[in-house]
Amino acid sequence: MQKSETGNRMNPYQPIPARILKTFDETPNIRTFVLKPEQEVEFLAGQFIELTVPGFGEAPFTPSSSHFKRDKLEMTIMKVGRATSALFSLKEGDMLGIRGPYGKRYPLEKFEGKEIFIVGGGVGLAPLRALFLALTHEVEKYKKIFLRYGARTPNDIVYKSLIPEWRNLKRVDIDLSVDVGDESWKGKVGVVTVLLEKIPCDAKNSVAVVCGPPIMMKFVTIGLLEAGFPGDAVYLSMETNMSCGLGQCGHCRLGPYFTCKDGPVLTWEQVKDIENPFV
Amino acid sequence: MEPRFLPSTKRDNWLGQLAREYTLFFPARVEKKVHWHRLEAEDLESGDSGPEWGLCCIRASEPIKSFLFSPREQVASFPDRLEPEEPEKRILFGVKDCDLLGLKVHEKMFLEGDFKDPFYEARLKNTILIAADCPDPEDSCFCNLVGRKPYATEGADIVLSVLDNGYLLEPLTEQGEELVRLGGDAFQPGTEAQIARRDEQRKAAVEKLEKTNPKPWNPEVAKAMEDRTKDQAFWRKHAATCVECFGCLMSCPTCFCFLLYAKAKEAKVERTRIWDACYLAAYARVGGGANPRAEFLKRFINRFQCKFMHFKNQHGFYACSGCGRCFKVCMGKIDIRKVLGEL
Repeated sequence: MQKSETGNRMNPYQPIPARILKTFDETPNIRTFVLKPEQEVEFLAGQFIELTVPGFGEAPFTPSSSHFKRDKLEMTIMKVGRATSALFSLKEGDMLGIRGPYGKRYPLEKFEGKEIFIVGGGVGLAPLRALFLALTHEVEKYKKIFLRYGARTPNDIVYKSLIPEWRNLKRVDIDLSVDVGDESWKGKVGVVTVLLEKIPCDAKNSVAVVCGPPIMMKFVTIGLLEAGFPGDAVYLSMETNMSCGLGQCGHCRLGPYFTCKDGPVLTWEQVKDIENPFV
Repeated sequence: MEPRFLPSTKRDNWLGQLAREYTLFFPARVEKKVHWHRLEAEDLESGDSGPEWGLCCIRASEPIKSFLFSPREQVASFPDRLEPEEPEKRILFGVKDCDLLGLKVHEKMFLEGDFKDPFYEARLKNTILIAADCPDPEDSCFCNLVGRKPYATEGADIVLSVLDNGYLLEPLTEQGEELVRLGGDAFQPGTEAQIARRDEQRKAAVEKLEKTNPKPWNPEVAKAMEDRTKDQAFWRKHAATCVECFGCLMSCPTCFCFLLYAKAKEAKVERTRIWDACYLAAYARVGGGANPRAEFLKRFINRFQCKFMHFKNQHGFYACSGCGRCFKVCMGKIDIRKVLGEL
């Protein structure tokens, strides 16, 4: 948590400044921002931060860089609404505000010795990248890491330049799909669930991690459960209106949880009794 | 700590001492309602009696949360920093137990989680609470149904009972004891007869409440509510007259939801917090436009589940104080007792 400069009382609403060092476009509407916060942000994969966009306001995002390298913070963001449009108008060298991190981290100690099956859809690969980098940083702790990723078209794939490097990492197995292919596309074609047709791990003793649009989350979860993944080993990034980040304002209520405090990653076991958790 | 007696004739002298050191608010009777009013030491000195005191009335129209959890305040700015200022020292004189329960809920939310709210914490630290018994509960009161009493035994610095010719005060904290000490000789040790009279009044108030609300709720309300989650007919029946004005939520002493919004001026951002209402259509809507509670019925159920299921399961008590404000202000006359009574 950020420390106040004035006395003992800490103001959790007060952002710290962060400079935009670099930006690069992943796709026509997805951009990665490399930020240099004034103080180190001690985030762990799974947690999120609140970004203050000068001249606009605040919105929650999940870092996509490794929590083992905290001097810089990378965020891969899709332009979807007013906050992200304001963010996309910023240039390298501009200042942003950051507060956080908030929420719970992935319980990596529970992943140790297991096969980990990660499924991402669209820009949902961004928060999963933070997890993937944390896992591959200490890859000997895990049995194998499977990364499955689906995008709408080959043009919509994020981290295109990084994926070939990731394929060469030991104990890593990567497969991609697109909803609609083109002449250059040699991989699978179909919605992301085509990547679940052959699950190469021992589902009952493995961990699955999912992040993507709600409809994709819903069908991937169904597929994973059918394949035998235990409900308490299916980790889902839940999308709710996280506003304060402190577990206080109430907006992100999801059944008994405040996702900003208890999530944003919750297991299927935690959300299974909530009516239509993927909205 | 031992109860002390303050004769009516010496009250104003003591109040004057308090009002010179603190900003003091008391419940004033205005027409048929009670509102919080600021006591000016000068007025007391000049013999201006001001509005009639309503210490024996039920709670004021406004919940005391307004004093601690401000309806609107700036909480951050960027790139300049904003830190909480030292709030003024206040006394709330004559708080009812139902409002104290509201503070207990807010303490759970704002002070006991992973993050402390520095604005709330500073105000609470600088606020002295003098509770007053509620000798004459009205038909809208139902604190007995949520397991509370019409008098405080904790959560205040002093508990005060109005007797025929004075006040019996029982300090609960060192700060409360200090205030009584300020009054010096004006205070006498409370006698057994005075304590017995207080207990009699309290007993009568409890009996009146039990007469008004004779049937206790299902002791497993949280469970019953969970089982009813999908019973659309039940909820539809109770929500039928709701006009979504959210007066119930704004007048509720326990509601804690707030909205953070930004006022952006060129490159600057001022972040302000205002009370919010979970009945609002856009309350849970996310950036991309999806809304998990787009239908009003879901928001209606969510309000009840928040207070009687989730909060109870997590903290062991209801986020409802039985103050009755929610249906006193309700244009659709939705009586929370009726909803809970049918579970």
